[in-house]
Amino acid sequence: MTTTIQHPPRAPGAGTQARRPRRRGLGPHERQQRRMFWPFTAPALIAYAVLFLAPVGYAVWTSLYKWDGMGAMQWRGLKNYQVLFQDPVFRTSLVNTLELMFVGGAITFLISFVLTLVLREMKARLFARSVLFFPSLVNGMVFGIAAGFLFSPTGPVNQALHLLGVTTPPKWLSTADLFPMVLGTVIWTATGYYTSIIMAAVDQIPDYLYEAAELDGASAFQRFRHVTLPCAWDVISVCAVLWTVSSVKIFELILLFGGSTNSLPPVDSWNTALYVYAEAFPRATVPRLGMATAAAVVTLLMVTLVTVVLRRVLRRDPIEY
Amino acid sequence: MPSRRGSAAVRIGTAVVWAVVAANLLLLLWIFLTSLRSGPDILKHNFGLPTLPRFGNYGTALGQGGFARAALNSVLTAAGSSLVAIALAAPCAYALARRRSRTSSALTMTFALGLGVPGQVLVVPLFVGLAKVDLTDSDLGLALVYVGLAMPFTVFLLTGFFSSIPGVLEEAAVLDGAGPLRTFLQVVLPVARGGLITAFLLQFITGWNETLFAIVLTSSQSKVTLPVALASFVAAQQFNGLDYGTMFAGVCIILAPMIALFSWMGTRIIQGMTTGIGK
Repeated sequence: MTTTIQHPPRAPGAGTQARRPRRRGLGPHERQQRRMFWPFTAPALIAYAVLFLAPVGYAVWTSLYKWDGMGAMQWRGLKNYQVLFQDPVFRTSLVNTLELMFVGGAITFLISFVLTLVLREMKARLFARSVLFFPSLVNGMVFGIAAGFLFSPTGPVNQALHLLGVTTPPKWLSTADLFPMVLGTVIWTATGYYTSIIMAAVDQIPDYLYEAAELDGASAFQRFRHVTLPCAWDVISVCAVLWTVSSVKIFELILLFGGSTNSLPPVDSWNTALYVYAEAFPRATVPRLGMATAAAVVTLLMVTLVTVVLRRVLRRDPIEY
Repeated sequence: MPSRRGSAAVRIGTAVVWAVVAANLLLLLWIFLTSLRSGPDILKHNFGLPTLPRFGNYGTALGQGGFARAALNSVLTAAGSSLVAIALAAPCAYALARRRSRTSSALTMTFALGLGVPGQVLVVPLFVGLAKVDLTDSDLGLALVYVGLAMPFTVFLLTGFFSSIPGVLEEAAVLDGAGPLRTFLQVVLPVARGGLITAFLLQFITGWNETLFAIVLTSSQSKVTLPVALASFVAAQQFNGLDYGTMFAGVCIILAPMIALFSWMGTRIIQGMTTGIGK
């Protein structure tokens, strides 16, 4: 975040008094900014409070009740959470969510680093970067539908494999293989985005650092290890947090993966977002809003916890250059 | 000079990058070509040029598939909610960027906290709340939800943007006797146009692709947005037999604005999505 450099210059001696209202010595500009503060912030704040903060609170509250959305709410306290963790479907969803977060994250970042390393030394890197970035602007269900066709039993992938002499290709879209396919697609679409962010940071690293490293005989990997990584560390740690938050939001990709939304995809490929959706808006049974919100709250707590830990672990002294 | 091993690795890496780039482009091309072919033809030859480009697939998608109405709804909700979100967020972000006090940093913090809340936490409460005021299955309700969801990121992005604009301009305006509102509208906003456009674009893209809330909050054919229309079309395929041509026409309809926006303002979009989050 930027600093206070742009702060309007004050009259000498006003600095110490500026914090206290009703003191003299404030410029007209300063006084104006004080007056405009609440009228300017209030509309956004109200929208945010009504449409965002209050619902979060309401979700926490609902998660303590048994409720079908129509009848009366029945107090259950923390029992919803207890039931949740005994539910094998939720446990599968939770494990998948964690797998997306950690395994997906590790692979995505590893590939992003390699891509950054390569793209730095490459011609037409802006074009390549743009094409790699584009999938992050595409609705996940597009990839789900495309994969459903490409990997169908008689689909192009299997036909190509057949030509190569593979007679028994993997059952790509079988229940057991569905989730790894989802994971792969997520990695495919996310790497371009994270590569772009990391590259934006890398572009700001002054060239002389690389030149110096080269003169010292550092290989491309060593330059990455000793120049790029430390200088871009801040941004990388922000990316890690960003990934944590966005990985739990994955929804439509899983919902439509394999192009089959007869009702819902097989439970084996669910994450907690799908669990929440399935519990709250089931096709045939009674909604269980308490369970749904409890699952959502668990996800929120998980994100918070991982974020806090990540910020701790990834914190480094800032490097100035 | 980089070492020999290094340069070989870089060469392999470059090849891999271009392979992935090619795969992305081919996927897009394949989706487009498939959208111009007939179902049986696609099943017989998965890859292939359309013998006769069947633009009729688009007609079917827009008409029977309901994609025309859905596209209109998508444009309206995405554009409308983005406009409102920015109209609300801009003054707020400006005030937060300019005023440095404990209240302002607490508010900035409050907005930033929202960045960490996944949508599924809000989906049940918002559904229940909107049902109470009779705004479910309504584009207005969906747009309202998008405005709320947009607040944390838009305020966050614009705060960063406003604080990078020098304050000298406003001081001059104030000395000339302009009130805060006039200073903001006539001096600050024109200067901030670039940031506002970026924020609008990013929000529009988010709204265009948003699926969870759209599925939950809209259902009747005249209200659904494109992602929902596509999802229900795919579901209906299970019974009607697979009309891949029409399905991919639908996919193209959802993709086209993103491709257009990206080829037109790609750098701005990448910058917005990266600098808003990076440094």
